[in-house]
Amino acid sequence: MLRQILALVWKDLKVFFRDRGGVIVIFLQPFMFIVVMSYALSGMYTPGEDQIHILAVNEDRGSRAAAVLEQLDDMEALQVEMSWEGQPLTRQMAESLIVQGERSMALVFPADFSAALEQDPVAGERQTTEVLFIADPATPDSVVEPVLGTLRGLLERSVYAAMTPRGLDLLFERLAPQVPADQREAFKSQAQAAMSGGLLGEEEPVVTVTRAVPGQMRVEQFPDTFQQNVPGYTIYGIFWIVSLLAGSVLQEKREGTFRRLLAAPMGRATMLVGKLLPYYIINLIQLAVMLGASSLLFGMDLGRSPAGLVMVSLAAAATATGLGVLVAALARTESQAGGLTVLLLLSLSALGGCFVPRFVMPEWLQQAGLMTPHAWALDAYQDLFVRGYGLVEVLPKVGVLLAFAALFFGVGVWRFRFER
Amino acid sequence: MSDPILIVQALRKSYGEIEAVRGVSFQIARGEIFGLLGPNGAGKTTLISMLSGLLEPDEGRVLIGGLELSRHPRAVKGRIGLVPQELALYPTLSARDNLLFFGRIYGLRGRRLRERVEGALEIVQLTDRAKDRVDTFSGGMKRRLNIAAGLLHEPEVLFLDEPTVGVDPQSRNAIFESVQALNRAGMTILYTTHYMEEAQRLCHRVAIMDHGQIIALDTPSALVRSLGAGLIRVRLPDPAADAVIARMGHLPAVKAVRRQDGYLHIETHHIQEALAGLITAVAETDSTIGSLEILEPNLETAFLHLTGKRLRD
Repeated sequence: MLRQILALVWKDLKVFFRDRGGVIVIFLQPFMFIVVMSYALSGMYTPGEDQIHILAVNEDRGSRAAAVLEQLDDMEALQVEMSWEGQPLTRQMAESLIVQGERSMALVFPADFSAALEQDPVAGERQTTEVLFIADPATPDSVVEPVLGTLRGLLERSVYAAMTPRGLDLLFERLAPQVPADQREAFKSQAQAAMSGGLLGEEEPVVTVTRAVPGQMRVEQFPDTFQQNVPGYTIYGIFWIVSLLAGSVLQEKREGTFRRLLAAPMGRATMLVGKLLPYYIINLIQLAVMLGASSLLFGMDLGRSPAGLVMVSLAAAATATGLGVLVAALARTESQAGGLTVLLLLSLSALGGCFVPRFVMPEWLQQAGLMTPHAWALDAYQDLFVRGYGLVEVLPKVGVLLAFAALFFGVGVWRFRFER
Repeated sequence: MSDPILIVQALRKSYGEIEAVRGVSFQIARGEIFGLLGPNGAGKTTLISMLSGLLEPDEGRVLIGGLELSRHPRAVKGRIGLVPQELALYPTLSARDNLLFFGRIYGLRGRRLRERVEGALEIVQLTDRAKDRVDTFSGGMKRRLNIAAGLLHEPEVLFLDEPTVGVDPQSRNAIFESVQALNRAGMTILYTTHYMEEAQRLCHRVAIMDHGQIIALDTPSALVRSLGAGLIRVRLPDPAADAVIARMGHLPAVKAVRRQDGYLHIETHHIQEALAGLITAVAETDSTIGSLEILEPNLETAFLHLTGKRLRD
């Protein structure tokens, strides 16, 4: 029996590696996706590489606007551009650049910006000014609103810092004119320290925001573009085995080799195992090549758990091969199998988050994604690569994948027609 | 039959409402070439599938070499070889790789496997093309390799299902020679074909199958002899047909008359006398002949006479 299985495995591997089309579908296609999509979307995942560009027109006669713009430019996600092709920007130039589609946002600081911030209320001055935020209407709110929020925050801070001492002067004049000048100055400097630091007069702010990861995640870095895209497109790629396996079974039925094998002194279970095993092996080779090449060529971190990586890969490949059996059992012709494969593969991959991360999808779609093995496999790989988990933590997901495999395989074998 | 190697008893198989095989029984003697003829849809493929263990019969049993197929499927399958009608080969593999694979499936290995592969290549005259991929072969070469794949384990009984479909005359002759050589070496062969001349040339006995039943089983010469001097096939209007049958039945030149799918089939002892009698009978009934064929006594005519169909329809 074992020799018959080995003969079947050897034959199908030989047939597969002689079929250039199959090799392209299984190895080259997902790898091309990995390369192209990883570079295309690198800015989404690598900080500083794809900043939001904001044009800035500074007409301010003082220095306050320049200070705000400097703070804005210090933000990692933002880059402030005050000139274009060596020329200082004017409002007209900024608007033209937006119209031409070169940029999507611009700020115009008015000439009286510093003057408005530095007005003297004690002398009875009452001056307002306006910073103009120009945005292409096609720019999504998800981009515009965070920029606008950041800008408002910086402007408020700038206004407080500039106007607080003068405001306090006004309060002393009106409420406590008897307080001596040196005490006034001491109070003002304490108040200013509070504005820029802690209320207790120290440099440390009372409230700070720190970016962190959940405590149980042993992570040193955030996922890079390859850690996002390699598992996604690798999982998308391994499910193409469905097309090869179902196609091969139906081709053998059409060409009569299946009848010949059925007439041989060999059990049906032996025949089925011998038919599936080579495709399972191809899946494992595919996973090793995709992940190995991504690690070697792009320096992608494969996590710290080789055992976890092996278990997730074995389970993911079993699921893909199981789906192949199911399609081979349900389809009656090769063209039916081809159509069913494309429909299943693209919709399951999309729903499972292989192309677009599931967290950007609406909640109901995220929940629907859990119906796909792709989502579980992708999550398990990202547990290992990105979240730094080990074997024990990914075992529940491995269990879900094996349940999918058992379901596909069980229904597939139940519905499999040996005779026709 | 003194030494039957294959015994088929009351075999039945239905697909839903359709009865594909309806109580078929026959025996094949050891060393015999047994022809199975029948029009498309007669049930031949279903029958072969049951005989080679691909399909479970609904009723009846099959014994090969004294062993019942349903009880000892592996042992029996090791004794039979199937050459399916399809070119059941892997086109991207070489001829030798195909045979090595099928040999391993039949449990051969090592030196014996290599010897059997080379032996089978020699029988079908493909030794010089052993290394070439099968998809570079002509139709005839593929057919010959298809046969070789069924011979590797030296089966006692070989089922050849339409082995000469789509091959050139040269390859067909090579296939005949191979079949005859295998038979001389003691192999029993069950041969299905659409070509009467093949059955006539190769087969010791022929079974004609139609509508899931065997309707005639004899040597080719006995089947031909049953037609007498030839067959007259005539189409007449219905009212005249009964009167003509009554008149013809009494003529000494006529062996038998029967209706077959809207035609009258007249088996004759003497063709000219029977024809003259027919013309007279039709004239007496004041009728006209729709169509008339005079068929020489051969297996093709016997088939048409028994089934009402031409084999290559």
